[in-house]
Amino acid sequence: MFKKGLLPLALAGALVLTGCTDSNATDPNAPKDDKVVVGFSVYDMQYEFFQKMEKGTREAVTAKGWEFKLHDEKSDENEMVTGAQALIDSGVDVLIISPFKPSALGPIIAKAKAKGVPVIVDDIGGGGAPYDAIVISDNSGGGKLAAEYMAKQIAANGKTGKNVASITCEPSAVYAARRNAGFKEAIEKAGFKVVAELSGNSKAEEGYKVMKDILAKNPDVAGVFACNDPMGVAAANAIKDAGKSPVKDIVAVGFNADPEALTAIKADGLAATVAQDPTAMGALTVKLAEQALNKTAITFDNAAEREVYNPVQLISKDNVDTVK
Amino acid sequence: MTTTDTRTAAPEPVLADRAERPSLGRLWDTWGITAILLLLLALTPLVAPGFLQLENLQSVLRESAYLGIVAAGMTFAIAAGAFDLSVGGQLALVSVVTLLAYGAGGTPAAVGAAIATGLACGLVNAGLITKLRVPPFVATLGTLFVFRGVAYILTQDGPQTLPYDQIGSPFVKIGGLNVAGVPLPFVIMLVVYAAAWVLLRRTATGRRVLAYGSSPAAARFCGISAGRIQLFVFALVGLSVGIAALTYITRVWTADGSAQDGFELKVIAAVVLGGTSLKGGKATLIGTFSAVLLVSVLNDVLVGQGVPSAYQRIVLGCVLIVALTVDGLRTRFAVPGSLRRAVAGLAGRSTDPDSA
Repeated sequence: MFKKGLLPLALAGALVLTGCTDSNATDPNAPKDDKVVVGFSVYDMQYEFFQKMEKGTREAVTAKGWEFKLHDEKSDENEMVTGAQALIDSGVDVLIISPFKPSALGPIIAKAKAKGVPVIVDDIGGGGAPYDAIVISDNSGGGKLAAEYMAKQIAANGKTGKNVASITCEPSAVYAARRNAGFKEAIEKAGFKVVAELSGNSKAEEGYKVMKDILAKNPDVAGVFACNDPMGVAAANAIKDAGKSPVKDIVAVGFNADPEALTAIKADGLAATVAQDPTAMGALTVKLAEQALNKTAITFDNAAEREVYNPVQLISKDNVDTVK
Repeated sequence: MTTTDTRTAAPEPVLADRAERPSLGRLWDTWGITAILLLLLALTPLVAPGFLQLENLQSVLRESAYLGIVAAGMTFAIAAGAFDLSVGGQLALVSVVTLLAYGAGGTPAAVGAAIATGLACGLVNAGLITKLRVPPFVATLGTLFVFRGVAYILTQDGPQTLPYDQIGSPFVKIGGLNVAGVPLPFVIMLVVYAAAWVLLRRTATGRRVLAYGSSPAAARFCGISAGRIQLFVFALVGLSVGIAALTYITRVWTADGSAQDGFELKVIAAVVLGGTSLKGGKATLIGTFSAVLLVSVLNDVLVGQGVPSAYQRIVLGCVLIVALTVDGLRTRFAVPGSLRRAVAGLAGRSTDPDSA
């Protein structure tokens, strides 16, 4: 990392001092027409999730012998539009983008269309723009995994209760809502009943309060699923504060494999979570980019929204040590 | 401490002297940052081969406009010895209201709403400062949160967005059109700067702003109303945000309460980088204009060359510090011969480490 940063720093330093000397070197950026150039505009390289996504994308691009150009949106919609459009101007053959603001994809895709550059969106959302494909985690499948684990764990705990609860994110989070929907469908198939489905607005403190209410009204619930980890861990804390175990008494499952959730799982403070795989998502976008470039048909999991799902993984105490 | 102060403490030398002998220092005040910009422009193609491509240049100019237009307004505020810290909140609020108005009444409504909302924000600030006697720093810090808060309330169900099917509308053209190859936002910026220059240099109002910023007490004795000056500059900043928001929102197509977080500091940094004194009384629109372009060009080169974002921030910070250091040295040795005397003095009494 440090080594990688040195050259640009030196370059920047040279710029500041306006003392640039070696200038007649051959132009390394001259376009080579036979080589495919992939531009990737990333949400923000400060976050581990997007660092992994960038790694997956970059490695898949270089594995094909293509050229990779990165742009960091720095969590800024202005930088997102300017930088992604600059990538298109610089002559990339395909644009992959994890948009900071999906609603700002419009001007970017308008420019890409004008230049005939396909656009693959990686996660976050499509903002209703005419992108070629969007890769998202299999949220519904993740909810299903959580339900299957919960049913198994409740049986292993020797509990006979058939009531479970579900805590949702804010209503506007469309993809996150699919987690609770997938959970509900699978858990009902296993013979359980969702007696409470309440929103904690993605926030830990609200998740805690919602779980308290659930425990007050339905003390017999055997499990709870939360659509993100802050709420999942908070719900598990509410269960602990009620004198019960979130693994052995009321099975609490979160979503996202946040570090706090992994720590909690190791300490029996949470039963399980569902991990997304940003590295694999990055690789998948490159595969779709190739299909879009070759004009071969992309197989969508949801054709109406041009969505392609990336598989997720259930993390419990059995495999939590394998997660980095 | 005091040996050279008798000279440097008088910021304005005799007027006749000023008119007759344009010193190098005075030239630097107005054109220094422009010279650095030109130097950078000359060197950039060697570092970043893609920079000179027409589309990249258009992109730089198009992207500079919204920052530049607000910086023109802010130059007046700083010249009057005040800040407007609320411009980021104003930009978010104006952008959100403009998109709402576009949804309701199309392009004319959106343009009208942008100007009206910007002016209204400026008048709120001016009212707080002149009627309630809140210091500008505090008043605009407060309204920064209030304006953003209102923008958040208006976007509770998600950001306001220009739908993709509006791609052909005249409103989108404000941000996307090129006039003879020059992006329309930049043309608007040029017009704003021309008007601002006339206002500052060729009208009594402009001179009053400078006089007030130079010495509020002296200006009051000359019959200049502090309230009017403040009303004028804060309304002007609001108006500039209204215009800037039009060039911003038609490029980015979306806004919510968090839009352009930290914008106020970028604007103030550009104005100060340009050579306008934070102490008030001294303003250079040419400097502000060049500083805005300098920041944009640097940003474009750093992003284009794949410099990690942390280093981009460091470089821009260092540029600001270097510019102000140079300016500080310049002010310190402003009087002809003072540098020579200071060096001689330093050699003479090396025990005194600080002669300024």
